[in-house]
Amino acid sequence: MSYTTSKSPIERLMDYYVRNVPHATQKRISTWLFRFLVGATVIVVGFPTYVMLKASIQPELELFSKTFLFVPRNPTFENFAGLFTETSFARFYLNSIVAALGTMVISVVSATLAGYSLTRFTFPGKKRLAQSVLFSYMFPPLLLALPMFMIWRDLQLLNSYPGIILAHSAHALPFDIWLMWKFFQTVPISYEESAWIYGASRLRAMRDVAIPMALPGIIAVSIFSFAISWSDFTFANLLLTQESMKTLPIGMLGFIEQQAVNWGLIMSASVMMALPAFLLVYFLQSYLLRGFSVGGLG
Amino acid sequence: MGEATPTSGVETSGGEPTLRDRLGDLLENETFLGYGSLSPVMLLFLFIAVFPIIWALAGSFFAINAFNPVWEWTGISNYQHLFFEDGFYWSAVVKSVIFGFGSVAVQVVVGIIFALILQRSFRGNAFARAVVLLPYLVPVIVVGLVFQWMMNPNYGVFNLLAIRFGLINEAINFLGNQDIAMYALIVAASWKWSIFVVMMSLARLEAIPSGYYDAARVNGANAWQRFRDITLPNLKGMIILVVLLRGIWMFNKFDIIWIMTRGGPSQSTTTLPVYAYRVAFNQWQLGESLAIASTLFLTLVVGAAIYFGKFNPEQEVRVE
Repeated sequence: MSYTTSKSPIERLMDYYVRNVPHATQKRISTWLFRFLVGATVIVVGFPTYVMLKASIQPELELFSKTFLFVPRNPTFENFAGLFTETSFARFYLNSIVAALGTMVISVVSATLAGYSLTRFTFPGKKRLAQSVLFSYMFPPLLLALPMFMIWRDLQLLNSYPGIILAHSAHALPFDIWLMWKFFQTVPISYEESAWIYGASRLRAMRDVAIPMALPGIIAVSIFSFAISWSDFTFANLLLTQESMKTLPIGMLGFIEQQAVNWGLIMSASVMMALPAFLLVYFLQSYLLRGFSVGGLG
Repeated sequence: MGEATPTSGVETSGGEPTLRDRLGDLLENETFLGYGSLSPVMLLFLFIAVFPIIWALAGSFFAINAFNPVWEWTGISNYQHLFFEDGFYWSAVVKSVIFGFGSVAVQVVVGIIFALILQRSFRGNAFARAVVLLPYLVPVIVVGLVFQWMMNPNYGVFNLLAIRFGLINEAINFLGNQDIAMYALIVAASWKWSIFVVMMSLARLEAIPSGYYDAARVNGANAWQRFRDITLPNLKGMIILVVLLRGIWMFNKFDIIWIMTRGGPSQSTTTLPVYAYRVAFNQWQLGESLAIASTLFLTLVVGAAIYFGKFNPEQEVRVE
């Protein structure tokens, strides 16, 4: 391919730059431009996180001053203390943990079985089932949450742990199955074949050979299902209305509806809620990235 | 896949097959095992996905009042009311389209730019990647509340900094102004969900053979021409997929909008899902709310038809 015909203004500018600026200068300019871009990216993406962390340790007086301080002058932990003394934050945290762990167990068990089934067995209707998994991946939460509210009400599942765990599983499962499905394909079937030769049954080969080898995938799926339940707002907002059953996201929204909004409290609650995300990114980055890259869709 | 036949452990010699043998045979049968290990998921899906969707489609033909347990059959009158009598429905459609397309456009452009930057190897790349990865894992309520705080007309950092640097004279109430609220939402939503595009682009960029770029350089292509003729065509499939998937998700987005504006000020950010929620829980017209949800479902079906027709996704599930 030759690059001579039909030049746009931007290309003409590039050509001028390439022809008239010395090569060494070009190199230096592009290095600095690149550094600037990386810095700008990190600042743009990191700024809200920084604002949140900063506000969580600022006393109320400083928070509501009309000048923006880049470094807090009087850092304090009173906001965090206030969460536990003035609000039902501890109760919300407990509810969130129960919901997230329940969702994790249900999703991991059923997604692992389904992923294994879809990669290792041939049976009629498999293609249709696989397609419906991918289709339900596209379901937006509110579409399920509205009818779920009515069904759950009739089944007495509103304001209950099983009710919210089932709803979160509906949200988490399509992606979890997709992930396990892809993961079992990275585990060669030959290990199971040699287990069969030594007399293991198919189920035993699955339990003792394939599942241990798919452990990184199972960890990734656990993290994702935990995270989906932990951060869900839509289902919790509809299905949990009792103060004592609320999970963190809707409990925190309640802070905003109070008469005088205490932003320090809200920001420290945000930090506490984002904390698992920070820890996950920090300690389990490789599993997460592997999960993302194997899952392909994030 | 599953071609090799498993050798069963012990051969029973002669005689009638016992119950134990039959059970053993069953446990080696692929159809039985396949359905067996899929059954937890199939049962769950019937209960938590298929059943609610059917319920919603069926309920949309009834007048359902939250305080009256009797469903009254009204045929298509819920839809008639929405399409022809209710002025808000079409305005909510327009709001959904603006929010959906607006935020997807920002996400695609910003996501690809970030991915192009992070794809190069440099000192501190791991740190930069970690910072950029974070928003995707931060819960939406945190994103909503932090942006609400930053956009606060009195103490928000956007206003304080803009005033300090002389960009504006008077504080702007980003979320309280009808003309601006939608764009403020798009900014917050794009901050969180651009990361989806970044991750998909990074995976795609790594798959482009570096030889293409070398060949283009030899032919005298500059950076812009290399991007236009190599990078962009290679990202094309991913971009279409992202626009489709993210488009459907943003079009149906409820959480960030409800958290930040509740559809206000004065309906200016009431998209279809927010409207469905309001009809259900402010007006207690559950049947009509299900009719709105069902029209959302139709957009999903159209999107899925394109998705399955164009992308053959079950083929994509393969080890590269």
